[in-house]
Amino acid sequence: MDMLELLNFYIIPGLVLGSIYALGAIGITLIYAILRYSHLAHGDLATLGAFIALALVQAGAPLLVALPATMALTALIAIGIDKGFYAHLRDRPKIITVMSSLGIALMIRAVVQVVWGVDAETYSRGIVRPEVYWGLRIKDRELWTLAFLIAAVVVLQLFLARSKWGKAMRAMSDNPNLALLSGIDNRKVIMLTWIIAGGLCAASGVFLGLNTELKSMMGWGMLLPMFAAAVLGGVGRVEGAVLGGLIVGLAEELSVLVLPGEYKAAMAFAILLFMLLVRPTGLLRGKVL
Amino acid sequence: MELAGLLNYALFMGIFIGIYALLALGLNIQWGFAGLFNAGIAGFFAVGAYTSAIVTTAAAEGRIGGFDMPLLLGWLAAMVAAGLIAWPIGKICLRFRSDYLAIATIGVAEIIRLVVKSEPELTNGARGITAIPRPFGDLDYALSQMAYLAIVAVVLLVAYLMVERQFNAPWGRMMRAIRDNELAARAMGKAIERRRLEAFIFGAALMGLGGALFAHFNRSITPEAIDPMVATFLVWIMLILGGSGNNRGAILGTAVVWIIWSMSEIATDQLPSEYAVKAKYIRLFLIGLMLQLVLRFRPDGLLPEPLRGAARSDQDAR
Amino acid sequence: MSALLTMSAVTGGYGDADILQQVSMHVDPREIVVIVGPNGAGKSTAMKAVFGLLTVRGGSIVFDGDDITRWSPDRIVQRGISYVPQVDNIFREMSIHENLEMGAFLKKGDLSAAYDRVYTLFPDLKERRKTLAGTLSGGQRQMVAMGRALMLDPKLLLLDEPTAGLSPKYMEQIFQICRNVRDTGVAILLVEQHAKQALAFADRGYVLASGQNRHEGTGADLLADREVAEMFLGG
Repeated sequence: MDMLELLNFYIIPGLVLGSIYALGAIGITLIYAILRYSHLAHGDLATLGAFIALALVQAGAPLLVALPATMALTALIAIGIDKGFYAHLRDRPKIITVMSSLGIALMIRAVVQVVWGVDAETYSRGIVRPEVYWGLRIKDRELWTLAFLIAAVVVLQLFLARSKWGKAMRAMSDNPNLALLSGIDNRKVIMLTWIIAGGLCAASGVFLGLNTELKSMMGWGMLLPMFAAAVLGGVGRVEGAVLGGLIVGLAEELSVLVLPGEYKAAMAFAILLFMLLVRPTGLLRGKVL
Repeated sequence: MELAGLLNYALFMGIFIGIYALLALGLNIQWGFAGLFNAGIAGFFAVGAYTSAIVTTAAAEGRIGGFDMPLLLGWLAAMVAAGLIAWPIGKICLRFRSDYLAIATIGVAEIIRLVVKSEPELTNGARGITAIPRPFGDLDYALSQMAYLAIVAVVLLVAYLMVERQFNAPWGRMMRAIRDNELAARAMGKAIERRRLEAFIFGAALMGLGGALFAHFNRSITPEAIDPMVATFLVWIMLILGGSGNNRGAILGTAVVWIIWSMSEIATDQLPSEYAVKAKYIRLFLIGLMLQLVLRFRPDGLLPEPLRGAARSDQDAR
Repeated sequence: MSALLTMSAVTGGYGDADILQQVSMHVDPREIVVIVGPNGAGKSTAMKAVFGLLTVRGGSIVFDGDDITRWSPDRIVQRGISYVPQVDNIFREMSIHENLEMGAFLKKGDLSAAYDRVYTLFPDLKERRKTLAGTLSGGQRQMVAMGRALMLDPKLLLLDEPTAGLSPKYMEQIFQICRNVRDTGVAILLVEQHAKQALAFADRGYVLASGQNRHEGTGADLLADREVAEMFLGG
């Protein structure tokens, strides 16, 4: 196998898949850092986002319009779920919210299955031929996926580093008691967290649907890779979630070289257990719950 | 006829409640007793089902086994196999908060599902393993059902008595006292880790046994028989509704949830087929909603955990 | 002279247990008041009562003319009391400057005057303003914590054992900073484990034991009191 073949058939698809995981993992890591629980409904929330975008596309909206609209809608839904369910459990042990989120995952999936059925769907019919750049075969949608991840991370990092509320989010993640003593309104920080996590989660679902197809179980299958990415990068670290997502995506695609294809999905699990065993703080020294 | 039909249905339901009650007891050891979040119940269930099937069926072409061993050996093997899978997972994850265990067990269930689907020499692939021997399977239908119900009832009773004994043993009380207090748990260190690991393994073994009972009852096991999310979720809602930490609550919750679940199935089966499919998902939605409501308004369940000394006063203080 | 802060017969604690029994004390404007006492005397608890972190079941707390007995901490911060906890009192993963910025979170408009004030009190911090607070030494962290609390221009600063775990050199430095802070017009109420040194430097002191008032007076008077000395100062 030559270099180009490796790049075209493993590295590029791996980076694209990794970008999709990274978008979800950022939300998981932020929720970990600020609300301090694992959000098991994150995968199914991504599914919901993908199908909302499908509805918009079928109604005639170009994907370029449908994507931001979907992100906004999903962010609102995420806030609604928090206010309707998780917020009432905030003073109980955090694991209760984890359990609640498992139930929410089931509920979201049921909604998707009732509204859109269980058959596979796509945003557009027909086969997309990859463009060739210097021997590299890349489809437009793959470029869009990578570009969106880069843009989203740059904007998010600037927001966290420069803006008052971005800093408040970091403060809440760093030391919640002191943040409260400083007068930071934790309800606003929590809402902001859900806006970011929900929006990026929807984007991750849309890009998964764009690069593969839409199925009611698509997000559930992403849950493990997204968590593996968050733990691999270091819980609470946005840049870690991105790094982790890309590594998990690459590992899954490259695993085909040594493992039967059916076990692609096992890579994320292996990475998760390996990190918990040797370095639970992750590559970039995150938190350990 | 009508009466016989009802009786048969009641027997069928009783057997299923018994099997699910074993799963709920297993989960109660893990969650109610040690605070461990297992989101991969279906995985341990499947391992038990397939293990016992492989051990007890007659030799078959194209797959490993069957070894045509006695039934009890199959059930024992089911428990051992499920426990052996739980062991490394627990070993790695129990040092951390239960969030990690939740994710890891979701992963285990997914991988077990993959193995079941893609290793035909082990599980006979999509066709599944058939002709699994059933004790007293040669009797008349109703009698055979009754006999199986009796077996399930005895197994459940034995499991209940054993778990109850552990709950009331001194270290059982200690476990529950520190269950909700992560700081205290960390301070106790290694000793607690070991107990938690034991709880996790024993719980998984009971789930494996439940899977074995299911396979022998159905006489077959196929990948479709186990819907990972639904099975796992049903057991959770059974335990939480019944009252986690209370073994009788776990069994009561199983009965209540299973009756609601299968009655709603009967109701929705009356619908025209296009709606019947959707109705299945609406039932899933409602069961998810039920969990939310129980968690919020009745977190102690129908039969709350009996107040046993230190466990409660510690909780109140926080 | 009207006191800035008056606690009158405050009874309260966490949950059901009353740790404080009828504790009374006051702090005048521009005054450093220290609370000392043996372990478990309720020193920190008394301070937390002021900041609304306690269930108060009896008595009242009046600050600057307002009864703040059952106010929430964020309201109390806005009213002009800042609190520095004993541990975990900085944002480790944020720079010194960002720590100060978070301290001024509730403040609208230009912060430059507030930064100037704090950096004048803590010149060391100004040089290292971009440094992550978690990488600093214990004494410097304490300065960041105090700086954060001073950003809102409080009238009263509450310090919970600011010198715990610090070397004598740093202890002196923190006390000196407290005097400087007082001289800018801020009253300070602090809890101290190092009773001798603290009483020597404070304007007045209270001795608590078992959640009750035992003695009060100027630092010098208390140090001279035989009973106080025998009680816990080690003779």
